[in-house]
Amino acid sequence: MAKINIYHLYPDHLNLYGDRGNILALCQRAHWHGIAANLIQIRPGEKIDFATCDLLFSGGGQDSDQKLVVQDLKSCRDEMRKAVEENMILFAVCGSYQLLGLYYTTARGERLTGLDLIDLYSEAGHKRMIGNALINCSLWDPPRKLVGFENHAGKTFLGPSLHPLGQVISGFGNNGSDKKEGAVYKNVIGTYLHGPLLPKNPWLTDYLLQKALLYRNQNHQLRELDDSLEQQAHDTTVRLTSSRSHKLKSSHA
Amino acid sequence: MSSTNIDRQQQTETPGCLNDRLSKIKYLGSLWLGKILISATRISGRGGTTLPGRVALKISPKLTSFLTGQLTRGSLIVTGTNGKTTTASLLTGILKNEGYRCIHNQSGSNMSWGVASALIGASSWRGKLTADFAVMEVDEGAFPAIVRDIQPLATVVTNIFRDQLDRYGEVDQIRDAIRRGLNAQPQGSFQIINADDPSLTGIEIADGLSRWTYGQESEPPETTYQNTSGDIKLCPRCHDKLDYMIIYFAHLGQYRCLRCGYKRPEPEVKLTGHTRYPDGSALLEIRLPDETLLVKYPLIGTYNVYNALAAIACAHTLAIPSATIKLSLEKAVPPFGRMELFELEGKTMIMALIKNPVGANEVLRTLLSQTGNVDILIAINDKIADGTDVSWLWDVDFELLTAIEERLSSIVVSGLRAWDMAVRLKYSCFDPKRIQVEENTAKALKHCLDQTATGKVLYLLPNYTAMLEMRHAMNQMGLGKPYWEG
Repeated sequence: MAKINIYHLYPDHLNLYGDRGNILALCQRAHWHGIAANLIQIRPGEKIDFATCDLLFSGGGQDSDQKLVVQDLKSCRDEMRKAVEENMILFAVCGSYQLLGLYYTTARGERLTGLDLIDLYSEAGHKRMIGNALINCSLWDPPRKLVGFENHAGKTFLGPSLHPLGQVISGFGNNGSDKKEGAVYKNVIGTYLHGPLLPKNPWLTDYLLQKALLYRNQNHQLRELDDSLEQQAHDTTVRLTSSRSHKLKSSHA
Repeated sequence: MSSTNIDRQQQTETPGCLNDRLSKIKYLGSLWLGKILISATRISGRGGTTLPGRVALKISPKLTSFLTGQLTRGSLIVTGTNGKTTTASLLTGILKNEGYRCIHNQSGSNMSWGVASALIGASSWRGKLTADFAVMEVDEGAFPAIVRDIQPLATVVTNIFRDQLDRYGEVDQIRDAIRRGLNAQPQGSFQIINADDPSLTGIEIADGLSRWTYGQESEPPETTYQNTSGDIKLCPRCHDKLDYMIIYFAHLGQYRCLRCGYKRPEPEVKLTGHTRYPDGSALLEIRLPDETLLVKYPLIGTYNVYNALAAIACAHTLAIPSATIKLSLEKAVPPFGRMELFELEGKTMIMALIKNPVGANEVLRTLLSQTGNVDILIAINDKIADGTDVSWLWDVDFELLTAIEERLSSIVVSGLRAWDMAVRLKYSCFDPKRIQVEENTAKALKHCLDQTATGKVLYLLPNYTAMLEMRHAMNQMGLGKPYWEG
């Protein structure tokens, strides 16, 4: 039986917007596809075993939690970088997405260094970008749509060679100006979209599972699943997203 | 003291006379418009809790302070993530039983315009407000501004949980709003906060204010669990991990920080005994600074115990006799959509508002503690008043429902986000074929009533605007009163 190890980083600290849903989607769909998914939760101070980790998930957190996490992760940064270069799957949402980059400049001008795994940087913005978002994602050919919900004050800018996860159809995306959302490097996917993203877009969940199998050279065909409920939820969100306007909110921070 | 007051009055008298009269005219104008709008919206079948206040405040932003200035005793504010409505309703009950005349925004419309609408509705056409107290449930975000407007005698803060983050961004920002509101209180006023919530006790108290806390010190229920949505686990002082001796639910409990020594304050009002009866009611032993109260309390759930403690603490600071407090709590009924009971053709409906993970988990836990077959209708909208982000559904432990799958006769999901809710249930291991979807809340309600067997219980679990829609449909079936008739 095909088997994957899913590592969930800091579930107590990085769980801001229903991030548990992403883990539920990965585990449930793995099960429905006939894959044995083993979930390992990593808490601060605990080591990630990169020899067994196939898929690493890290969610969104508040600023106070994020500082704690980045300190902790720096000790394993080199190992993580090596695994990423070897095509380990890393899915990072919101705050964790920002941590993947070079640095994050806070509203007070303080520069917090990131993990420098992919070529991006972020800076605090004055307005929060909040609302349903719809993007055209080119992980597939032809591209498929992803729906999610974004809620971030930080703005992220990608280096010239880094591909976004998708082009914004509706919403703000990385920074509200260049119409790019998220980033893809090898099997690393970073995004501001929660919602949570994976249950709302089951094809992305399956994409991650497929890549995780390939990472360990496991030959396992994903099954055809009945995704009619997910498809309906997706279509409803697309409809709602297109019909509502996007306004910037003043950040209280 | 009096001489300076007189001086100030005299100074403003001469040049301000015309101004005063002009602003009085403005107040009256906005008030009349507000009153007309209340009547108009009620005729059209809506509650008149938003628009009238909104329009009136636009014309005369100081209307709220003008009206509350006439109260013989003053205003009380209840804020916090969960328990606002119940606590405010318990407190109003206590004050009324003591013979006070109270104004209360009972429909739960708790932004500045909701407060204004309630005051406009209660005042005469001449702008006179004949009442002793105004008990206002207030949204956390609106709390600082409303404190400045109505200068409360006391504020009650129930707790801080994750809620509607699309409006506030992060929990830290909600906490900041509460801190600003508490600091804006007038000199000599009281603040009553939950001792078991470290995110509240960590807020420093400003000079010239008095603080009371309330908390639990009884044995926790057997099924203590810490759900995924506990938000503050870190010490409010040094941000190290807090050590909990007891957790009542989420992050509420008895805690201390092993690093800096920060610990839960000793509460002035505490629950020292808690006997639970099979019907959901409980016998509470509550210790006040100078006496102990025994209360047979009818409201179900641990969260309702906190609401009782909050109301008791506030009433005690107002010097309400304990006999009145006890009597009022013993005949408390669940307010608007908080485990409210309806009967129709031999079927029972229990309506419980769900709007954030911790509140929803407590409702589910209470539902699970009941026996017999149940039907469930969950209705989720994503309008502004609900919060437009439905990701919180994934922080609710709907997995709990699979434990009663055999006695779950039917499960229907409804609302603008019915399909999201259906997906949520599917991923908590429900057989997708069992999940029925009807987006229209009124139709869903009718459908559920049809399929609930006589003698059985139908649980209605809507979020805020879905609840308003359902109530409207129920009113048309002749059930319940429109909420503005409370």
